[in-house]
Formats: sequence, structure tokens, C-alpha cells
Amino acid sequence: MTTTAPETTMTDAAPGAAEASAPRTPDAPVARRARRSPVDVGLTVWSVLVFLFLFAPIIVILVYSFNNGRLLIAWNEFGFEPYRALWEKPAVRDAVAVSLRTGAIAAVLATLLGTLAGIALARKPGKWALWFIGLLLLVSVTPEIVDAVALLPWLVFLGQDAGLSIFNDGTVRLVVGHSLFSTAVVTYIVRARLVGLDAQLEEASADLYARPFTTFRRVTLPLAMPAVLAGLLLSFTLSLDNTVVAAFVQVSGSTPWPVYVLSALRGGLRPEIAAVSTVMLLLTLAALALVAVVLKRAGDSATQIARTMSGG
Amino acid sequence: MRSLRLPSFALAIPAWAWLVTFFVVPVGAVLYFSFGYKPGIFGTHATDVLSFDRYAEALSPTFFEVFMNTLWVGIAGTLLCLAIGLPVAYWMAVKAPANRRGLLIALVMVPYWTNFLVRTIGWQIILAPEGWMSQLLQTVGITDGPLEILYTRTAVLIGVVYNYLPLMILPLFVAFDRVGPALREASKDLGANRVGTFLRVTFPLARPGIIVGLLLVYIPLMGDYITATVLGGAQGNMVGQLVASQFQAAQNWALGSAMAVLLILVIMVSAAAIGLLLWLVSLPFRARTRVALEASA
Repeated sequence: MTTTAPETTMTDAAPGAAEASAPRTPDAPVARRARRSPVDVGLTVWSVLVFLFLFAPIIVILVYSFNNGRLLIAWNEFGFEPYRALWEKPAVRDAVAVSLRTGAIAAVLATLLGTLAGIALARKPGKWALWFIGLLLLVSVTPEIVDAVALLPWLVFLGQDAGLSIFNDGTVRLVVGHSLFSTAVVTYIVRARLVGLDAQLEEASADLYARPFTTFRRVTLPLAMPAVLAGLLLSFTLSLDNTVVAAFVQVSGSTPWPVYVLSALRGGLRPEIAAVSTVMLLLTLAALALVAVVLKRAGDSATQIARTMSGG
Repeated sequence: MRSLRLPSFALAIPAWAWLVTFFVVPVGAVLYFSFGYKPGIFGTHATDVLSFDRYAEALSPTFFEVFMNTLWVGIAGTLLCLAIGLPVAYWMAVKAPANRRGLLIALVMVPYWTNFLVRTIGWQIILAPEGWMSQLLQTVGITDGPLEILYTRTAVLIGVVYNYLPLMILPLFVAFDRVGPALREASKDLGANRVGTFLRVTFPLARPGIIVGLLLVYIPLMGDYITATVLGGAQGNMVGQLVASQFQAAQNWALGSAMAVLLILVIMVSAAAIGLLLWLVSLPFRARTRVALEASA
């Protein structure tokens, strides 16, 4: 015990020390590796295996997007045929365009609703806040498939029986379906950011005779801005990925890309499915990288960013 | 702010109204439909006579099996996620170099943000009997014939464990990260060995994160529709598919609604039961770790 104690203290103190001074000296990890116990080695090997597991299907999709065969599953030869098909087939291009359009509109809508609600929750909590958070939780935990089957008859009723023809429009339906969960997510994020900041600045603004709207526009909103931007981009990617609700509420003629993939599943998948997935993955990752940059600039730690990006 | 005359919840009204119109009302309608019946071949639902008959129908032996199957996949999948994810989260938060932590989190995020359907199709390619994995296993000599996992419950289980694993790793990472090195060092200075430190300091302090992770995985997993559709055969059926098929193919909204309501009830009751069980299991734990818990406050 007496010989091992200083050793274990050193190995485990190292991460803490590195946290304090971010740039490590290059020889530090080597020194640590030399003293690793079998448990540490086991943990590292396990983690590497799990990361391989996490990336296995994604790598498979990336590789198979260069499959020049006729069927996705059966590898034929390497080539760019799927990407060419992507460009030439109007159905796929239209599906991507529908996704981008509805994603943008749903994101703006969810951000607008969620930002206002998040500010109200953070700055003016009362008995109502409990009910409202309860509603948001309900929205978050209800299985997507239940949302989907509930929303379809309701939209049909609004569009046909109630005569509100706007709900017969494919874009409107998708925006409605995609905005629900996103609104809850934006509300959580904006609330979390403002709760972490003192309300003193807003009080000072009011004391200096700013009108409530001026305080809102010039103090509260700028404070919440990183969370608002993160929420906007998250809503956009959530909408791009929404499959289940979209599959139910979509109108033929405005099919978003995941629903196109889902319906292709029944008739045999072709390699261009992998190609469109790859393109959309890159787009999603670009949006997420932007979220991370926005949050990092606002001073969030890696852990805080992780919490925000896993939906609060 | 004192001069504001609007009620305190004014800013939340738009979001509230939106969610009530497009969530509360339609889900409430589903609840209402579930007490109705399917009138003839062409009607989807009628509610002039209300009864609990659709619930009895939804729990008849054929459908009951699907509910039990869903519970099995849900519980086994959640426990597997915990078993696989806990060492990874611990490694990320405690053992991995601190300057790589952001990168590691990003690496967990990428699969999580890859389209759910697409990554499940990735598994379909991997597990297909004519796919590369099957051929590789045969060439190496691990299996004699083609891989026969696709369209079974095992494939669904692999799919759900894969799909929800990031939702387990992230909260566990946050929990382990929050414990920080100071308490672990104190534990060692007081003479505890590594196992003792993990069991009596790190693990009890990370327990709230473990419960969050279990719920974050279990709740969406139980309502999953995509994974079972892509990877499950007749055996891989989950309640989500059942609900969808009643609304689409069978055009029986009343029965589909009853199944949807039952699904939500099953999720809520089983999640509460699991929570209660965990709490009971952790009671003796808590007594022993009281000092450590107070130190963290």
C-alpha cells in the first residue's frame, strides 16, 4: 500500500491538473501511460471498442454511398454513380429541398415560441411555471409515434372539416409536426441560460428608466442570444431528421428526405439512399459544429455544451 | 420591470397556445377515440357508444405478446446501455486526457445526431445475411452459414442499444465529470483503495446521473418505431409498430388509440416502478455515503 499510494494519487491527479492549465506538456500523457494499471488499460480498450461500435453503421453508410451497384446492400464496385443519381433524380432533390425549407421555417417558429417561453420561465416563474414545465415534459416524453397518429386526424379535421385549407398544405403540416418537440427544446435551453445569469442587469436597466420592451430588446435578448442561436440550429437539425411524425402528416408532393428513405425501404434500398444520407449528415454536422462554436464563445464548458446539445 | 402590467406568463402564451392546439388537443382526441369503436369497413372510428372494449381488445393474447416483447426489449436494452456506457463515461470523465474531452464528447454526439433511420439502415447492411459482416465471419470460420440475425429480436436489441447508447453515455459523463478529482483524492488520502473509492465516493455521487441516463434511454426506447421496423421481423414487433399499423393498414383508429394510450401508461408505470426499485436498492448505499454526499453540497 505504501509503495502504490503515491503512484495512484499521481495518475489520478493528472486530469485535474490538466484541467487547470489547458495546454498540456507533450510528455505528460507518455508518463501517465507508463504507470497504467490493468483496470485502466481495460477501460481504455473497452472505450475504444464502444467508439468503434458507435461509428460502425455510419462508416458503413459512408462507404456504401460509393457503391456502384444496383442494390445498396450488395457491394458491387467503387464509384460515384450514387452521387450522380442523386443529382439527376428529381425525387431525391425535391425531398432534400422540402426538408431544408420546412426545417428553416420550423426552426424559426420553434425558436420564436421557445425563446419567449424560456425568458418567461427564467425571469417570471410562478405557479403557472410548474404547469407549463409539466406540459413541456409531456411533449418531450410522449412517443413520437403517438404524436404522429394523433396529429394526422387533427390536421385532416382542421383542413377539411373545419375548412382551414392552410392545413392541407404539405409545408404547413410538416412545420407543425416538427415544431412541437423543438419548441420544448428551445424553451429548456433559453431558460437554462437565463437562470444561470443574474437578473441584476435587467433590474439596472429598469432602474435607469428603460421601458420594459427596451429592456427586453437591449438587455434580456442579447443575454439569451447564444442559447437562442443554439436552439435555432438544434431545431433545424431536429426538423431535418424528423422521420416518424413527418411520415404520417406529409402530403404527397412534399415528402421530406427521411420519409423518402423510409418509403424506399419497402421497395429495396438503392445506393443513392446512402449518398443522400451522407450529404445530409455533413449538413447536420456543420450545423452542430456551429452550435458548439456559438456556445463555446459564450463561455460554456465542454460539459455544458454536451448537456445543451443532448436536448437540455 | 416593475412597470410591466402584463401577467407574468404573458411571454409563454404563444408557446402554450401552440402546444395546446397541436399537442394537447390531438392527443386528447386519441384518448377519446380509444373509448370508441370501428364502425364497419370504411369508418375509422365512432364515439357514439363509449366503452373500455378496445382496451380489452388491445390486451388480447396476440397484442399482449407484443406489449411483453416491447417491455423485454425496453428493459434489456436499457440495462445493456448502462453496462456498455458506464465504463465509457467513467473513462471519458476520469481517465481520458482532459484536453481530449471535448473531442470525445463530439465523437459521442456525431452518432446521436446522425439521422436515426439512416444509422439503423447501417445496421441492416451490417447484419444482412448476404452482407460483408456475414461473409467475414464465414471466411474467418466463426460461423458456418450466413448470419441469421436480421429480422429477429436480437437485431432489434442491437439496434436499440446502438441507437440510445449516446443518451446513456452523455448524462453519465456529466455526472462523473461533476464529481471532480478532489473528492477522489481525499478518499485515497484517507486510505481507500481504487475499488473502495469508486463504490463509496464516485458511484454514489454519480447516481442521479445514472437515473437520468436510465430514464433518457428507457422512455424513448419503449416508444420506438423505426428500429423495429427496419431491423425486426415478426419477432421484433414493438407496440409503436402496432399503433402505426392500426392507424394505417387496418384503419382502426379506435383500437390504435387504445394501444397508444396503453403504451404511454405502460411506459409511465414501468418507469415509475423501475425508479422505485432503484431507490429501494440504493437505500443501504445512501446510509453509508452520507458524509460524502454532504461534502459535495
